[in-house]
Amino acid sequence: MLNRVLLLCLALVWTVSVSVTAQDVAEGGIDTLSLPLPAPAQNVVAANHVYDDGEVIDVNWDKSPDDPENILGYIVYRAETDGAFDSIRTLLPGETFFSDDNVEDEIPYKYQIGVIGENGVSLSGESELAVATWELFNFGMWNTFLWMFVFCGSVIGFIISAKSGRKLYIRKIGGLEALEEAVGRATEMGRPILFIPGILDMDDVQTLAAITILGKVARVVADYDSKIRMPVSRSLVLTAARETIKESYTSAGRPDGYNEDMVQYVTDEQFGYVAAVNGIMVREKPATCLYLGAFFAESLILAETGNSIGAIQIAGTARPGQLPFFVAACDYTLIGEELFAASAYLSEDPKQLGSLKGQDVGKVIAMFGLLVGTAAMTLSVAWQVPATQWILDLMNNLFTTN
Amino acid sequence: MKTKEFIVTAIIIVVLLLCKFVLPKPIQFSPTISWIVTILLGLVFAFIFYLTIKGKPVERRIVFLLVGISLVVPFFMQFKLPLKISPEVQQVYDKLASLPPGSKVLASFDYDPPSAPELQPMAEAFVKYAFEHDIKIIMMGLWPQGPQQANQAVEAAFEENPALRDQVKYGVDYVNLGFQSGNEFVVLRMGESFKSMFPSDLNYTPYDSIPLLKNVSNFSNIDWSINFSAGKPGTVEWIQVAVDRYNLPMSAGNTAVQAPMVYPYLNAGQLLGLMGGMSGAAEFEKLTNLPGKATTFLLSQTFAHVVVILFIIIGNVAFLRSRKETK
Amino acid sequence: METFGIWLAALLTIGIISFLYKDNVLYKACESIFVGISAGYWFITYYWDNLYRKFYLGVTDMDNPHRFFLWIAFALGVMMLTRLIGKIGWLSRWPLAFIVGATAGLYMMTYFVSNAFVQVGATIKLPPDFGSVGSYISFGMIALGTFSGLVYFFFSKEHKGVFGGTAKLGIWFLMVTFGASFGYTVMSRMSLMLGRLDFLFGEWLGMIN
Repeated sequence: MLNRVLLLCLALVWTVSVSVTAQDVAEGGIDTLSLPLPAPAQNVVAANHVYDDGEVIDVNWDKSPDDPENILGYIVYRAETDGAFDSIRTLLPGETFFSDDNVEDEIPYKYQIGVIGENGVSLSGESELAVATWELFNFGMWNTFLWMFVFCGSVIGFIISAKSGRKLYIRKIGGLEALEEAVGRATEMGRPILFIPGILDMDDVQTLAAITILGKVARVVADYDSKIRMPVSRSLVLTAARETIKESYTSAGRPDGYNEDMVQYVTDEQFGYVAAVNGIMVREKPATCLYLGAFFAESLILAETGNSIGAIQIAGTARPGQLPFFVAACDYTLIGEELFAASAYLSEDPKQLGSLKGQDVGKVIAMFGLLVGTAAMTLSVAWQVPATQWILDLMNNLFTTN
Repeated sequence: MKTKEFIVTAIIIVVLLLCKFVLPKPIQFSPTISWIVTILLGLVFAFIFYLTIKGKPVERRIVFLLVGISLVVPFFMQFKLPLKISPEVQQVYDKLASLPPGSKVLASFDYDPPSAPELQPMAEAFVKYAFEHDIKIIMMGLWPQGPQQANQAVEAAFEENPALRDQVKYGVDYVNLGFQSGNEFVVLRMGESFKSMFPSDLNYTPYDSIPLLKNVSNFSNIDWSINFSAGKPGTVEWIQVAVDRYNLPMSAGNTAVQAPMVYPYLNAGQLLGLMGGMSGAAEFEKLTNLPGKATTFLLSQTFAHVVVILFIIIGNVAFLRSRKETK
Repeated sequence: METFGIWLAALLTIGIISFLYKDNVLYKACESIFVGISAGYWFITYYWDNLYRKFYLGVTDMDNPHRFFLWIAFALGVMMLTRLIGKIGWLSRWPLAFIVGATAGLYMMTYFVSNAFVQVGATIKLPPDFGSVGSYISFGMIALGTFSGLVYFFFSKEHKGVFGGTAKLGIWFLMVTFGASFGYTVMSRMSLMLGRLDFLFGEWLGMIN
């Protein structure tokens, strides 16, 4: 590979030193050292790149018969209708395609391909003129549109259905019952409940789910007259959490019980935040620790410290990398989407319930694609059953991006 | 402070002062000493295993201490470890090595000092290799401290090969665009225009005044990109926006924690190669023939992994024993 | 000055590590310093990178035809601060809604395409080494693991009977994945510790060659 790069360096130096442009040479190439040149590339075709905003022309060509043994690379030349050719890109041997994204729309361009040999450059014929045009819709993404339509349609349909009063069934989520039990235990012990909403901001859906669950937890806390402690690492989360807890206390009929200091901003810095939360844990010894939201490297540190102080721990995150630690160190863990399901289950909010049901439709589609696709692939490719080829083609069309 | 804590603190201070001012430096164990130390460590574990079977499991601080020792002791040892190159790291190197001189690479440093032990060796090897092969680097960060990590990698390359200090010019061969907040929205806007997100570089030089960026308007002018990522925003966000939407060819170096989450994208062809954790960094250093910290740390990693495995076994023995007692 | 910096960094590192023994005065001091410095660091970073570089340089760049959009962002930022003024505090919800809405819009496409659509498409493609016994196993495992995992996360049906069995298989796959992930994380944590120990024993104590 290094040799190839060195050869290409040589080729570039050579290209610059002899200042070859298409104007200087006759078609078929020049012979600077009276030695044979590589065979030129053929069938150069330039065409508008479809489904873009008129900024790209695609150039294709057939490889030089001397590629790869006797060539060092390709040079792409470009010219306007009556203009001179300029080299615009050098490519490695083996390349047969180039996307020119430095064009202006509505201006015709023509292209020529130079094959770099050790003794010079041989040029292909010129391509036809091509113009970059823009298109409003990308029809190449029809399948994405189709699935998005089905998916979003299901979500909207279920939301409307939920709003109209229809009861949407969601299976029981393990660990949810434990929430109230955990708050009760903290009340009995006279110790606070620590709620950690992850370390991401309000633009993360996990934080949103955590704040929804916080609303329910805060309501139970207000009912039991227990204490909640919530250090956060984002200012927006601080704002949202304070509002949520305040609302819960108000709806519980205890607005006077709310105190702004229940939620406290620490720092945006990940490990600075962790150090502070660890300190709070070992000093205040909360009876219950809830870790719900998006977590990173701090997950194990927090869960381990919580474990060492003997707190009941309930965690939930959709970060796959952090789930193992929560599973190992916590009493209950909401795995991945269960966090969002719990949020929907607790809030009984039609939007959340509808979204969850809509996602189930998405999962059915994925399962269908998987089952039929893998079966068709195994039958038609591995076991050579021709009759199933059309199913495979259909599945590929349905699930392959363009 | 209780007497016991006072004694522990005093011992630690005395040991550290001894290390700092009295011991001869640097320390290197001969192969014989290295073996003796390894065997002694093994005997300590055998003893802990014996205690566990007898129903006297060691407390957590002993576990911390032994893990610490297993990480430090190999610093002074002379063992050499074989290193097998994984296909995903090979893929990163192949992509980098196939770039012609003058190619423009976008390198996003999406990590901060806490993750530097894993990612900085990859970044340093990449920067050194790129400078030595005339590959132009456009650096940036979606994490505030990322651009500083990039500068450190550049400085490390210059220290390693002082000739590069004269050969490689800022603004011509590399540029540091700095940090921009906004996570994946930054990447999204960069798909249209780099300048809209980075009106100037880290030193407040206007975008248009930087020679390297003269013909760079968006991802379409980039030959390849590499992302060093410790979390979010990071590789996943780059794939979702830059790769899937703008077809940016991209490879990545990730912390070991994040690597398992990125494998699905690698298998689906959205990512062209992946360096995972310190072992990935060591493999990359081997491929680029630029041994650095990752190669040095490999022995410590191996020792620590063995220790963790032994503690998992011991922990399970203790668990089974306690369960039996409960019954 | 550099020596002082190294000593300070070393003492702070030891202070934080001392938490492994137990909570103590040194740890508390280091924790407070860390939290304070990092909060200040973020403030300065946001000031220079956002307010100065992105906003001030942006609006004063007369060649930028879109510079007026930055005033909208600035106005949204100011609205966030209205929280501090009781009567018009409700205005701070608007920028919050803007952030949540814009992110949801972006995620809808990116997550759907990258995490669902492309992944399903990739699962119905043959691995490069298809034909060997190992490839049959890995192909089957990927398909089965993905399918049963999806069943586990299906919330519209109770986990009973065959469906429940498949869900249980899904959770087993998840647990195996978690185990592998745990291994990677151990490697990662050791690396972080190595970085600090390298600093202590190398840069500070000078014991490493």
